[in-house]
Amino acid sequence: MSVSRLRTYWQLRMASWVRRRQGVDVLPVVLQRRRIYILPTRAGLAFALLLLFMLLASLNYANSIALFLTFLLAGFGLITMHQCHRNLMGTRLHGATVLPTFARRPGTLQLTLQNPVRAARPRIAASIEQEAARLADLPGQGSQCIELTVAAAARGLVSIDRLKLTTTHPFGLFRAWAWIHTPLRMVVYPRPVGGLPMPADDALKSGSLPRGGAGADEWLGLRPFRDGDSPRQVDWKAYAREAPLLVKEYSASGNDLRVFRFDALTGLPVEQRLEQMSRWVVDAEAHGERYGIELPMTRIEPDRGPEHRHRCLTALALYSLPVPAQ
Amino acid sequence: MKKAIELTALRPLLWATAACGAGTLLSVDRVPAWVPVAALGLAGWRIWVAARPTRSQRLPGAAVRNFLAILLIAAVLVTFRALNGLSAGTALLILMGGCKLLETRSRRDLFVVVGAALFLLLAACLDRQDLLRAPLYLGQVWLCCAALAVIAYAPTATEGPAFDQGFNNRSAVLLAGRTLLLAAPLAIVLFVFFPRLAGAFWSLPRGDTASTGLSDTMSPGSITDLTASYEIAFRARFEGAAPPPAMRYWRGPVLHNFDGYTWRRLYATPYGRPTLEYLGKPYRYQVILEPSSQRWWFALDTLQHPPPGDTVLTDDNELISRQPITDTTVYKGVSYTSVKFTSPLPEISRRRDTATPPRNPHSREFARELRARSGSDGAYVAAVLEFLRTGGFKYTLTPPPLGADSVDEFLFNTRLGFCGHFASAFVMLMRAAGVPAHVVTGYLGGDWNPVGGYFVVRQSDAHAWAEVWLEGRGWTRVDPTAVVEPGRLDRGILDLLPEAGSAQARLVRRSTWLTALVQRWDAANAWWTEHVVKFDFRSQIGILESLGIDSPDARDLGWAFAAGLLLWMAWIAWEYGRSPGGPPQDRVALAYARLCRKLAKAGLGRAPHQGPLAYADTVSLRRPDLASSLRPLLEQYAHLRFGSGSHDPDELQILTFERRIRNLKVSGTA
Repeated sequence: MSVSRLRTYWQLRMASWVRRRQGVDVLPVVLQRRRIYILPTRAGLAFALLLLFMLLASLNYANSIALFLTFLLAGFGLITMHQCHRNLMGTRLHGATVLPTFARRPGTLQLTLQNPVRAARPRIAASIEQEAARLADLPGQGSQCIELTVAAAARGLVSIDRLKLTTTHPFGLFRAWAWIHTPLRMVVYPRPVGGLPMPADDALKSGSLPRGGAGADEWLGLRPFRDGDSPRQVDWKAYAREAPLLVKEYSASGNDLRVFRFDALTGLPVEQRLEQMSRWVVDAEAHGERYGIELPMTRIEPDRGPEHRHRCLTALALYSLPVPAQ
Repeated sequence: MKKAIELTALRPLLWATAACGAGTLLSVDRVPAWVPVAALGLAGWRIWVAARPTRSQRLPGAAVRNFLAILLIAAVLVTFRALNGLSAGTALLILMGGCKLLETRSRRDLFVVVGAALFLLLAACLDRQDLLRAPLYLGQVWLCCAALAVIAYAPTATEGPAFDQGFNNRSAVLLAGRTLLLAAPLAIVLFVFFPRLAGAFWSLPRGDTASTGLSDTMSPGSITDLTASYEIAFRARFEGAAPPPAMRYWRGPVLHNFDGYTWRRLYATPYGRPTLEYLGKPYRYQVILEPSSQRWWFALDTLQHPPPGDTVLTDDNELISRQPITDTTVYKGVSYTSVKFTSPLPEISRRRDTATPPRNPHSREFARELRARSGSDGAYVAAVLEFLRTGGFKYTLTPPPLGADSVDEFLFNTRLGFCGHFASAFVMLMRAAGVPAHVVTGYLGGDWNPVGGYFVVRQSDAHAWAEVWLEGRGWTRVDPTAVVEPGRLDRGILDLLPEAGSAQARLVRRSTWLTALVQRWDAANAWWTEHVVKFDFRSQIGILESLGIDSPDARDLGWAFAAGLLLWMAWIAWEYGRSPGGPPQDRVALAYARLCRKLAKAGLGRAPHQGPLAYADTVSLRRPDLASSLRPLLEQYAHLRFGSGSHDPDELQILTFERRIRNLKVSGTA
């Protein structure tokens, strides 16, 4: 068994032990003593070795000054352990929100940390499994928001079982951390790709009105770019003038009703069908149209608005996936 | 394993460089000048790269760095011919610190640089432990800890916020200082009670430091060179009365072999330890010997036993250690200033101490004549001393140079000499007449330090005298210098010949307050050496005894050590385990609760349902005498609590309220 496998095995054992020990958390969570773990960092271990060497050298030469300095540094090291522990203890995780994303785009996990005491808490890092940590400096009696990126490889649900709050402040010799088991699920929409034309309007199935281009629609204005927006709609000219990424929004005139049907996309594999439907939902929402989707077993009646868009995309994301119990 | 992520901020790099640079400065005078210069170059290179706003300038690649490291190691090898000595090791540490600095990218690299700085500190401690350097060492510890804080705080590129105003250099320094202050009690407790080991497991080769003090040869003028030095040879503290000045002969190397110009010590001449009868009273004392890189320990006159340890008392009553003295050494001795040899002089010894080189013909002739006229060896000694006293000899620091027949020239021509000339000539005259004699070098006198209660013996107190073998008494000290210049017995050379000392010594001697200041400083140094630097197992036992423990041993020490450690750990855990800061207390409520407690003690408790104004009414009814002082207070409370609407009461109002409640006196009855 290689070292890294041994490590992984040990980490899994630890994780399940911690999970059994702490149970499931309901936000807000206050980091109390019993859920804070602390171990020396690699720098801390090196520091201990250095102190051992200093101790042996100063004892060997009966060198009082070196011995005193060794003890001083040893006391220093022990105190840093308490300081590190205290930097985390009492921190309150107030909120944790995951924002949905599209497959192969990093999602966002927003954490709100609160510091109930007067002393500031610098360098608190939040992380989830395998992802890079982000740091926050909590001011005294203040709160701070941390945004973590969550990788999303494929559509479906990404479940975040536990969060980790870590600190090595102030001297980097110890690392204190706490696990928070708050079940979070991130919906990963299918990628909005696919070049098929949007199916015709249900209400105008007879097809008197052609699928209009942008010019046929009523100009609504500009709005900030959202994930899934088509690059064609981006106001690149404004962007070139160093404006934020804006999207031209049009509203289709009249009460258009489109229903995107899974079954209608014959000849495509399941995932590509879902991706194409995702594309249509995104585009239709961007154009202010009213749209619905029809999946086997599921039908969402035409509507519009961000919530509707989310409902539709979620339905696409979860299509034929076993939905785990909440 | 995660890849080390590059730190982008310049500040942690600067701090690590500063820590390493300060560590270098601690030993900068112990290594060749090119070493710190090279390290400075490496550090400058790194900082230059980091400080460039454009990233076009890259750090040197691995090949260049390895080449540099090998080059520098080779340079150290060539300079020192070793890598394991203290100076060589220090030089190596400085250079490797610089090399490491050149490749620092991640937090770990910077930690390694700070580790090198701490190793440099250790090397400096092993080298020197002067009182003056103690603050420097503490400062270095502080600097390293602050550097750790800054490095630990520095974010990597992916982690988010860079340095903000919340944690600047000042906070790092303050945090490190506060932490070290909290650690200080532990350091003191452990220092006092941590059981010390006796003896070294391995020894560190030390570089060749120039030896100071008396050597094992003496030629005309050699002691004169020594007297120009104001350096301390040793300090001596007597238990009880000190011997009179004329008896304070501190015995050093005994010189037997004379080639007509230079006296030399003989090695490996065991001719049996003489048996002695000690006369007079013993003197007990402690000597704090400064490192000299020589092997002479100095003891008063005739030492009874060698101190325990690595020393021998030779047949000539010299005290010699097996190893050169590279550290301050403390030992105790019992000496007699008057002894009688009860064993006869061995033949080999007699032959050796009457040998004369075939030189100085006039002196030999003169000696034979004078001895023939004297009735005994004793009378001959007196006659020679009389000759020196009345022969127009002068004690001077600047005698004219002498040739190969140095004694002839001195006795019959120049007649100007220093203690070495007189001792040399006297012993030569004795030997020429068949009286066994040899030269003894050492120190005479010493300055009394009233602050520390000890004598300071400096190199300028170096002296040379003679010993002659007189039947019935054995080796007898004769100091021919004292005949020519009797003042030398109770005064130092600097008093007799003020021009002898260095400018610094003359300056100190001229001003009384400067003398007092130097004495105080020296006393502090002596205290430091005796009680801190030389703190050992015996000192530990002494402390336990003074704490009231009967016949303490190592086990008691262990208990004290464990108790101190646990107490400290409990204190720290309590200090940090308390609610960290806590939400701001409701001071108004606290003050009000205090007021209610005060009143309750006087039997005027507040009913739980009562508001402050209703409470004021009740109290006024029952105790009209308190009404005038209480009512405004309770009204102020009501105002602070409920009255000011959305605005929080300001600090001044709260302070006044608190003070008024604190000062309120509530007597038990009306």
